[in-house]
Amino acid sequence: MTSETVVTTMELPRKRRGPVVELLSRLIRTKPLGAAGGLIFLVFLLAGIFADLLAPFGMNDTNLVHRLEPPSLAFLLGTDHLGRDVLSRVLIGGQISMIVSFCAAGLATFISILLGVVSGYFGGRIDMLIQRMVDAWMIFPGLVLLIVVISIVGPGLVQIIVILGLLYGIAGSRIVRGSVITIREQMYTHAAQSIGARTPRILWRHILPNVMPVVIVLFSTRVGAVILAEAGLSFLGLGVPPPAPTWGSMLSGTGRTYMYLGPWLALAPGLCLTIVVYAINVFGDALRDLLDPRMRGSR
Amino acid sequence: MQAYIIRRLLALIPTLIFASVIVFFSIRLIPGDVIDLMLSQNDISTGQDRANIEAALGLDRPVIVQYFRWVGSAMMGDFGNSLWQNTPVSEQLLARMPISFELGLLALIVALSVALPIGVYSAMRQDSLGDYITRSFSLLMLAIPSFWLGTLVMVFPSVWWRWSPALEYTPFLEDPIKNLSHMIVPATLLGLSMSAVTMRMTRTMMLEVMRQDYIRTARAKGVGEVLLVVRHALRNGLIPVVTLIGLQAPVLIGGAVIMEQIFVVPGMGLLLLEAVSSRDYPVVSGVFLVVGVGVLLINLAVDLSYGLLDPKVRHQ
Amino acid sequence: MRDPIRNRLSLVAALLILFCLGAGAQAPEEPQYGGTLDIGTVTVTLSALSWDPTDWNWKLNHDTGMFYEQLFAADLEKSVRKGGKYIFRSEAYLPDDALRGELAESWEWETPLTLVIHLRRGIRFPDKPGVMKSRELDAEDVVFSYYRLDASPKKISTYFDHIAKVEARDKHTVVFEFSEFNVEWAYRFGYGYYSAIVPREMADVDAKNWRNAVGTGPFQLTDFIQGHSQTYQRNPAYWDREKLGGQQYEIPFVDEINYRTIKDEATFLTALRTGKLDILEAIRWIAVDHLKETTPELKWVRSLSSVGNFMALRTDQKPFDDVRVRRAINLAVNQREIADLFYGGHAELFAYPMHPDFTGYFEPLESMPASVQELFGYDPAKAKRLLVEAGYPDGFTVKAQVCSCSPSNMDLIPLIDDYLSKIGVHLEIDPMEHAAYLSTMTSKTHAPAYLMNSGHVNPTTSLRKSFTTGQQWNPSIFSDPDVDRQVAEFHRTRSEILRQRMIKDLTVEMLDRAPYLWLPIQYSYTAWWPWVKNYNGELRAGAVRPGPIYARMWIDHKLKKELGF
Repeated sequence: MTSETVVTTMELPRKRRGPVVELLSRLIRTKPLGAAGGLIFLVFLLAGIFADLLAPFGMNDTNLVHRLEPPSLAFLLGTDHLGRDVLSRVLIGGQISMIVSFCAAGLATFISILLGVVSGYFGGRIDMLIQRMVDAWMIFPGLVLLIVVISIVGPGLVQIIVILGLLYGIAGSRIVRGSVITIREQMYTHAAQSIGARTPRILWRHILPNVMPVVIVLFSTRVGAVILAEAGLSFLGLGVPPPAPTWGSMLSGTGRTYMYLGPWLALAPGLCLTIVVYAINVFGDALRDLLDPRMRGSR
Repeated sequence: MQAYIIRRLLALIPTLIFASVIVFFSIRLIPGDVIDLMLSQNDISTGQDRANIEAALGLDRPVIVQYFRWVGSAMMGDFGNSLWQNTPVSEQLLARMPISFELGLLALIVALSVALPIGVYSAMRQDSLGDYITRSFSLLMLAIPSFWLGTLVMVFPSVWWRWSPALEYTPFLEDPIKNLSHMIVPATLLGLSMSAVTMRMTRTMMLEVMRQDYIRTARAKGVGEVLLVVRHALRNGLIPVVTLIGLQAPVLIGGAVIMEQIFVVPGMGLLLLEAVSSRDYPVVSGVFLVVGVGVLLINLAVDLSYGLLDPKVRHQ
Repeated sequence: MRDPIRNRLSLVAALLILFCLGAGAQAPEEPQYGGTLDIGTVTVTLSALSWDPTDWNWKLNHDTGMFYEQLFAADLEKSVRKGGKYIFRSEAYLPDDALRGELAESWEWETPLTLVIHLRRGIRFPDKPGVMKSRELDAEDVVFSYYRLDASPKKISTYFDHIAKVEARDKHTVVFEFSEFNVEWAYRFGYGYYSAIVPREMADVDAKNWRNAVGTGPFQLTDFIQGHSQTYQRNPAYWDREKLGGQQYEIPFVDEINYRTIKDEATFLTALRTGKLDILEAIRWIAVDHLKETTPELKWVRSLSSVGNFMALRTDQKPFDDVRVRRAINLAVNQREIADLFYGGHAELFAYPMHPDFTGYFEPLESMPASVQELFGYDPAKAKRLLVEAGYPDGFTVKAQVCSCSPSNMDLIPLIDDYLSKIGVHLEIDPMEHAAYLSTMTSKTHAPAYLMNSGHVNPTTSLRKSFTTGQQWNPSIFSDPDVDRQVAEFHRTRSEILRQRMIKDLTVEMLDRAPYLWLPIQYSYTAWWPWVKNYNGELRAGAVRPGPIYARMWIDHKLKKELGF
């Protein structure tokens, strides 16, 4: 579950147009695989956003008469054990998977920044207290922690987002803290402090912009990790509750149960999940090469 | 160095206190307590039935008192007895830990033997077709959910060739061949899925190394590039290795739940899953605590070894 | 790769058929001793939860019934395999004529309320270092076992209310004094879930620890790895014999029985397919066709599940306190379609709360009143009208809990949701982890709709536990003094004919009052490799207790080798 992963163009700071365009052109020129990954991811993202328009049927329109039909013109990806259109469920499942991964990765990044900046910038006792709690949290295997916490709060879209956000956010705070410390030690911060700038200003103007490359890569690693984590939870029966589909639950639930009677049930969600996670990973690696070649793989 | 180690060890204490609190109370927060389960067959249970069972299990005292008793005896190595089986938790832990550890270790070996060559190669041939293919393999292994890969490996060989890995655990010392024929498949799958992280780390490191001035100098002098890189890789190879160990410490000690479940490996993960679902509090707390301490110690060892491996790393 | 194997297999199959034809003409095969049987039991995903009968755990008998014996057990001579009429797959029901004394040699009623049981002589507990020396089982052990159960805080509080006292008259005679007659007497402390006879020495050792378990049964527990396996070894001094072809044989035939715990469905199916399991007792219909195709050697038997499937509707709360709403729910769901299409025909419309195997108590749907039959039909228009009458013209949204541990129910609930949405009723689905799910019911804090499974047990228990006031397993919180009275009455009724009439009447009444959304009951399949002999898919020789069945199976080692294992 400690999967390393990647980024997306959506989250690059929009105000600075120039650098983004420049980055993109370098990406396409020097990193064709990464660029392809980004493109694939973009396509899936758009499919997720417009899933409601694209899906020919509702996600829970059952029709037992048409159950377990192989792919045909009427049902491009076939139907599942309840006669629901697999294409529609894959599209809507993609939407839900994207919502979960973006929200959870976003939350995780926010928590990482908050904890990392507070801990790294202020240091001392605050740092000590936060770091010991982070240690305590991180010693438990991620999936096991998820099992316990989801058993307490119950499964649900919001719960899963919050928990995955917390899990990866706390883990990621280490990395942010590390780079905050480095930046703090650098001269210009000292200079700003000596002129009498107030702390919020230093954080906003000097620290935050400089940790952005780290944060962007961090965010990207989380998007893929969250998709996989949700799939793992679905396997253990603790994912997003039915009838809402996610790729993870389609694959681990009916995909596995009906793998003999309807192999196509697993094929579509399985491929989507794998392709998307793979695409964000190669894209993220490319961004990492371009943005911060020194960043080492870490949780 | 010594002072540093002592400082680090002392820093473990607050962490352990936090961890023990999380462990002890979180399991009790899960809805459906152990008494409910024990009474679930009872047609008409009364408050008295409950009180009697609670008293028999020592669960009638205030939770705070229970916590301190537990911490007190845990420090003596006594984690209490299972609420259902009445066998000592420490006995179960001792039986399970080597199993998970073996699985984790085999997985590490697989992960490293895939990750290091691919990482070095893809750094040397950055953005070549070979880089893309080898890297893609490693990343694909990460991108396929482990339960799915596990299921495919479990089902299809059995359908096509009536073959499956052994599905019953045999201790390594009893029969190494039998033991390996069971463990090797889950370990390989687990290792492959771990490999991407290390591969990426190795690659980044190699890229960094190759930009260094002395490499350029050496290259200019005509020293063979391959020789240089290999020599360097060998010297630096241990860093990704220990980092991976640190990252996978929870799996090494805590087990890999999904793989254990699919491949019937009676490791720590499965024990914990069983204990959580039967609300066997002492077992859950015991497993968590042992995993916690183990992971902390491994991480400490990893941090210390950075200092030994790379003189540039100073312990602040 | 595939074809040669196929060919070889079909050759083997042809040889097998010839062999069987030949065998039919000859005398029955000579049983063989030795070998290990690996069994994926009915509860293949669950390890033993407890080893101590005083824990009053439902699963205990399944795990301890290998070494703890009981006063009564199934008379396996009456099985279909031996020309009888019983398949012995019911969870906990033995009709009177399928019962035999196990530890009891004979029994008689001295007075209407005094039962005298004569124990078999010469039954011995084996040596168990640290627990006991080998000795003969006697009446004091029975008395001890009874009072030990009775004193447990986990006891089902009214369970032994019909018994005033239990005494040993002499070394081999036990006397049960009844305070009132209870029709379940033989089940409650004879062949039921809570009937194990343990040695008196258990008073002095930790009975919860599996290492101390010792009984008079055919096997003894030798290893237990929680969540992985339970190993039982042959008890060489076991007293019972098996009659085959007019000959008496010492049993058990096999040296070792291994209960495997495998959590993952794909894995236990694979284990069967690759011969790593000799028997897999519970296979869902979904896997059956494919297994038959890929592994044609397997032998099969199927029976209607002895576990009911329904969605309980809480009658103590709005909106389901109104019988019209509950009936509307039943009318809006197309059970026929579920049975024929969702289950692919591997299910029956009506088999709960009475099981078709409960001969004399079960009445088929076709002979029930129209108002009951209607509930199993599909009439959304009428359902809508009933909702309007009940004051819900726009329908309502209600929370529905389901156990994430049940793949079948997790598949079913979106389907029910979609059916109900057509009459404006929406389910807010809440899948829960098993323990949390169970405890909401036992603490009666569960949602108004609660999709669940519940065992039939036996004809009397089925109605009592489900529909009388205050019962733990009464998920619709049904409470009606008249129903309570009827249940109490048939428990007191000695005449079986009369009792059958009363139970049939109450079953019809309960079906009609629709405390549940009645759902079809699926068939459950058992498969085994042909080298497992003297076996035909029997599951229980008592309440969830397979011990005596496993003791009688033997392995055809030659056939096993011929098949390549």
